[in-house]
Amino acid sequence: MGLQWDYFIVTRYIIRRLLYMIPTLIGVILITFILFNMVGGSPAVMTLGKNASPRALEEFDEQRGFNKPLLAGWWTGTRALPDTDFRDGAGIWREVAGAEWVQAGPGAGALRVAPGAPSVLPDAFPLRTGTTYRLQFVACMPAGGSMRWLIDGKPVGMEPEQAAATWQRHVITFQAPDQPQRGRMAVEVSGGALELRSVRLERRMSQVYDSQLVHYFRQLARLDFGESVATNQKVGTMLRRGMLPSLMLTVPIFFGGLVLSISLALVCAYLRDRWTDRVLVVVAVALMSVNYLVWIIFGQFFLAYQLKWFPIWGFESWRYLLLPVGIGIISGLGGDLRFYRTIMLDEFYKDYVRTAFAKGLGPVSVLFKHVLPNAMIPIVTSTVVALPFLYTGSLLLESFFGIPGLGGLSVNAINSADVDVVRGVVLVGSVLYMVASLVSDLCYAVVDPRVKLR
Amino acid sequence: MGSDRSLWSEAWRDLRQRRMIRACLWGILVFTLLAAYGEGVYRWYRLTDRTPPYQQVNLQERYLPPSLFRQPFSYDRAGGSTVHLGYRERIRKGVQVLAHRPLGTDNLGRDVLQRVVQGARIAFLVGVVTSLIAIPIGVILGCLAGYFGGWVDEVVVWVYSTVACMPGLLFILAISMVVGKGLTGVYLGIGLTTWVGLCRLIRAEVMKHRDHAYVMAARSLGYSPWRIIFRHILPNVFHIVIITFSLRFPASIGTEVFMSFLGIGVQGEPSWGVMIGNARLRLWQGIWWEMTAVTAAILIVVLAFNLVGDALRDALDPRLRARDNT
Repeated sequence: MGLQWDYFIVTRYIIRRLLYMIPTLIGVILITFILFNMVGGSPAVMTLGKNASPRALEEFDEQRGFNKPLLAGWWTGTRALPDTDFRDGAGIWREVAGAEWVQAGPGAGALRVAPGAPSVLPDAFPLRTGTTYRLQFVACMPAGGSMRWLIDGKPVGMEPEQAAATWQRHVITFQAPDQPQRGRMAVEVSGGALELRSVRLERRMSQVYDSQLVHYFRQLARLDFGESVATNQKVGTMLRRGMLPSLMLTVPIFFGGLVLSISLALVCAYLRDRWTDRVLVVVAVALMSVNYLVWIIFGQFFLAYQLKWFPIWGFESWRYLLLPVGIGIISGLGGDLRFYRTIMLDEFYKDYVRTAFAKGLGPVSVLFKHVLPNAMIPIVTSTVVALPFLYTGSLLLESFFGIPGLGGLSVNAINSADVDVVRGVVLVGSVLYMVASLVSDLCYAVVDPRVKLR
Repeated sequence: MGSDRSLWSEAWRDLRQRRMIRACLWGILVFTLLAAYGEGVYRWYRLTDRTPPYQQVNLQERYLPPSLFRQPFSYDRAGGSTVHLGYRERIRKGVQVLAHRPLGTDNLGRDVLQRVVQGARIAFLVGVVTSLIAIPIGVILGCLAGYFGGWVDEVVVWVYSTVACMPGLLFILAISMVVGKGLTGVYLGIGLTTWVGLCRLIRAEVMKHRDHAYVMAARSLGYSPWRIIFRHILPNVFHIVIITFSLRFPASIGTEVFMSFLGIGVQGEPSWGVMIGNARLRLWQGIWWEMTAVTAAILIVVLAFNLVGDALRDALDPRLRARDNT
């Protein structure tokens, strides 16, 4: 560890690695963006349910920036008037006075607005004052005639508009009135009936780049992970509070499992191909194959409920942690043991081990002084990278044993589709992973003097 | 693949010679057949629009223990009668009892055996479909990155290191939450997150092969990169795909069990996770057979796949052992 631990080299290395992290961080942010903003349906509907009022949905979206254009653009949808294609049904337009949905015959799948008094559009909440809106609709007037769109009784534009006898797309742009009025839209048809095929109302943004993506990046730059819908708490606070119980569960599992599996692996390597080794390997594969759930259920049922050795559920003293920790260790033991055994065996056939035995050293000294330090190299890389997953906790252990950590939090959040919480845990987990892989590379240099930091 | 035949046939001979592995292969075959049978039953009842037997509620037969625990060959003591049946009669009745609901019934009187078979069907589907999603992604990206290098490699490495950063199970759950509850969510969640390891291995392997003489020869003959990658190099690295498949199959079954148990996975069908979730509540009342049946089914299938996967890895490419921590 001589020269290469030059302060300058290490600092330069860390800075370089931190710079390399930037693209990955952007990638993670993009993945969560694609996942939650682009792929899924509306997060508002996912969280609040299908029966929530459009107003509540719009408020949810407004708070989280989901009502902005996705990447960039002037126009964005609004829930004030639901996008309707009358070929699929009339929806809430059924209740519009003077309008009727044509089900069959010529012009089927359209909304026919009869001439006469203005028909008020079924908007869910008032338009925003002083904001520009755009109404797009596909319409025709088979019998001729004209239509006039009104906002609070005042006509939009000067002239009544004519519509062709065939389907045509129309766009009208208007400004919502400044006065605190209801801002209702209506259409007045004269001459012949107006037939509508589809309607969509859009709101104009004040800036082109005021998009969901920019909003998301800004929010993250403030380290603001949003707000939980279920508990109305800041996600950041929830993450901070959940971290300690999670760590209390996972850190003992991590170190306990590490110590146990490495020592067993050493035993296996020392007694290789004897029955102890064979039995341990078979047991390891069997342990690996038992589902995590089964460990938890049987542990909780037999050890806690029937034998009463452990408390069943809760988080009051250290005794409550014993069973989950034990289950965590046991369930990870199989895979780790096999992995470490392979590593140890690779070392065991090397010449320096034979030399050590030949010069008369005992097994304990050979194992711990010679084999273990060399085997540490692959062990360190595999274990340090596993560290950040300590933070996410164990989803199942925590929800089964009622430990108020991040794992249980995420399970609840996923079950109640609490988008911000899930996103927060995923984001912080991946950032920690990046940090851990940096630490792992540094450790690599510590345990292996051959590794040079560049 | 003329020249590889020896490798494959040798590996196959190697596997068949070990009794344990042979048993596992038989187990996997039975599992496959049961899954196919389950699929047939499922399709047939959907086609004829009837309630399939594994969903039929029968409240008179709730909590019926497995048939072996119903004293099939003892005297018929029903109603206190002490009629002594003949020897043959007793055997006949006993077999009848044994064949009726062999693994007992659950809280709604549904046949546990049939539900376990349906679970096998879903587990098999999950294993196959997620592999069909993950393996092509991993193979194609790995081949491209390894063969072309340069910016292609950088982009691929960026993509997979980004995906590798995401916290595993949570990422899977988030994907299926966004896609919607159900099997599609399970497929996409597991399939889109588990290709990274394979991609890494293939990339490293293709990089090695890129400078081999046979690739140079193919290149100097003017073959297109696609042909070289998929006709020349891929067959030489294909054993990695086989090994990965056999090792990720049980892992994805396990993940599906988690997800269905948490209520995010399969909905309204008897997957093993759903059954565990159901049986867990009954366990406290002493109804142990549903739990035991599902647990045993999962254990056997996963164990068989793990052992075969290990043996395959040893036979086809022992160097892979130390490289991934599975």
